[in-house]
Amino acid sequence: MWSRPSLGFSRKQGIPTVLIYGQTLLLLALTLFPVLWLIQLSLKVESEAFRMPPQLIFWPTLENYVALFQGKFARSFGNSLVVSVATTLISLVLGVPAAYALSRAGFQADKGIALWVLTTRMAPPIAFAIPFFLTYRYLGLIDTLLGLMIIYLTFNLSLVIWMMRTFFDGLPRSLEEAAEIDGAGPWGAFLRITLPLAGPGLATTAIFCFLFAWNDFFFALVLTRSQAQMAPVAIVNFMNYEGWEWGKIAAGGTLIMLPVVIFSLLVRRYLIRGLTAGAIKG
Amino acid sequence: MRQRTRFFWILLSPALGVLAVVTVVPFLFLFSTSLTPLNLARPATWWDFGAPLANFLELLSDHRFINSLGIQVRLSVFTVGFQLLLGLGAALLLNSRLRFVEAIRSLFIIPMVLPPIVVAIMWKVLFTPDISVLNWALGVMGLPQPAWLAHPKLALPAIIIADIWEWFPFTLLMLLAALQMMPSEPIEAARIDGANAWQVFRHVVLPLLRPAMVVTILFRLIESVKAFPLIFVMTGGGPGTVTEVTNYYAFLQGFTYSLIGYSAAISVVVLGSVMGISFLIISFVGARIDVE
Repeated sequence: MWSRPSLGFSRKQGIPTVLIYGQTLLLLALTLFPVLWLIQLSLKVESEAFRMPPQLIFWPTLENYVALFQGKFARSFGNSLVVSVATTLISLVLGVPAAYALSRAGFQADKGIALWVLTTRMAPPIAFAIPFFLTYRYLGLIDTLLGLMIIYLTFNLSLVIWMMRTFFDGLPRSLEEAAEIDGAGPWGAFLRITLPLAGPGLATTAIFCFLFAWNDFFFALVLTRSQAQMAPVAIVNFMNYEGWEWGKIAAGGTLIMLPVVIFSLLVRRYLIRGLTAGAIKG
Repeated sequence: MRQRTRFFWILLSPALGVLAVVTVVPFLFLFSTSLTPLNLARPATWWDFGAPLANFLELLSDHRFINSLGIQVRLSVFTVGFQLLLGLGAALLLNSRLRFVEAIRSLFIIPMVLPPIVVAIMWKVLFTPDISVLNWALGVMGLPQPAWLAHPKLALPAIIIADIWEWFPFTLLMLLAALQMMPSEPIEAARIDGANAWQVFRHVVLPLLRPAMVVTILFRLIESVKAFPLIFVMTGGGPGTVTEVTNYYAFLQGFTYSLIGYSAAISVVVLGSVMGISFLIISFVGARIDVE
């Protein structure tokens, strides 16, 4: 059995299929091993978790998850959800109209915007954390959900503008023009014709915004204390001086990564566009 | 027409206004803070512009800062280098048109989309003696079982390994996309001319991949300077300061020692260096490519 030729290998020397299977599976195993290892840890009681040689066959228990939610973790998890959803909505409400305007008006601003998006990406998070921290201390926004929602706009707003612009560019103008001839006006054309057509793009962009806020650790660490604690910070707090509560850490880690994995697989086609905003035309 | 332009400005201005407030203003604020000796424990240091360059001059003789730059360079060079090699190898492998390979391709994105803090926890589990299955396996094979994260020579490599694992999917994805867009004519032509697999790869495929590689390197370099969760959870900058990259040092100065002004100065230097290097790369080779 021989594979069809792939780039870089001549027909005569095509690699045996079995070799491709083998190498791919090996690479996949290495890629997924740390993830699966953490998940199985979360399903074991503490005394079993680190017994060597590792017990690969065991009765899974939800004990760690129960313990997790008997503590304050539920609240942090809720905070993470609220902040991520809210910052996504704010970014979309502000960014989508702007993206539409940029797509249709021909402002010649592309280069400037791309450059700005790229520059803000170059800033290490601490470059934003310092001015926001000082301002929030003054305004009383330290340890508030609102404060986090605002600082996440630093990356999510430009992301929305960047991604939605390319989605709007891909939609035909003829329908809007027809609607305007029928007397819909520019607002009607935008809200009732173009926006519904951009649905898939909106969903993709929303998922990206959610993930970037959800995955943040640094801002959540620096700008919150206890009231507005986010799930990633709550997990780290299980590593305390009295010892590391590995069961809870593994269970909490599994819980916060599950939505991420599911959402990412949904938007995998657009992953590159989302992760390289500023440099690549979609 | 006038009315249309006004309509577009109404759509655009709220976003531009907010973007200015959350990005331009903080940059200016950061820069002016870096010119002050702001210490949160001493309120008199607010807006003290008496010696605007004092922080930057102090940095020149701050051994811990200079040490942190060296660690950052090592971290960036090794992670980006290995991610590029591993990503390229994996992209060539997964570019196969086998059904099976196409079906599982998506699973390779998982490491890079995980919350970075969870990645840090996963590797902390794998690198902590007594609970590490990795060390157990080494022991079974009769190899030494080092305390990775507490060992001065192994702590940075451990973080590099975790970072390579976390981000090689990015280089894989970028290079795979480039491979799939690649025109087949030059490759076919080289084969007809009798080039072997290595020659086709070296002289046809690799040059065609160059633009994608440049963008990939640029983005990975930018991100590598932000490394924080891995270091925070795995080593805390230690043992000693062997894993204390500049970004982490700025965090310690600002948020552990409350020396916000000094921390701002470090951040300005980091930001300036990243921008300088990035624009150097962009102006030399251009960083705009088309995907899809």
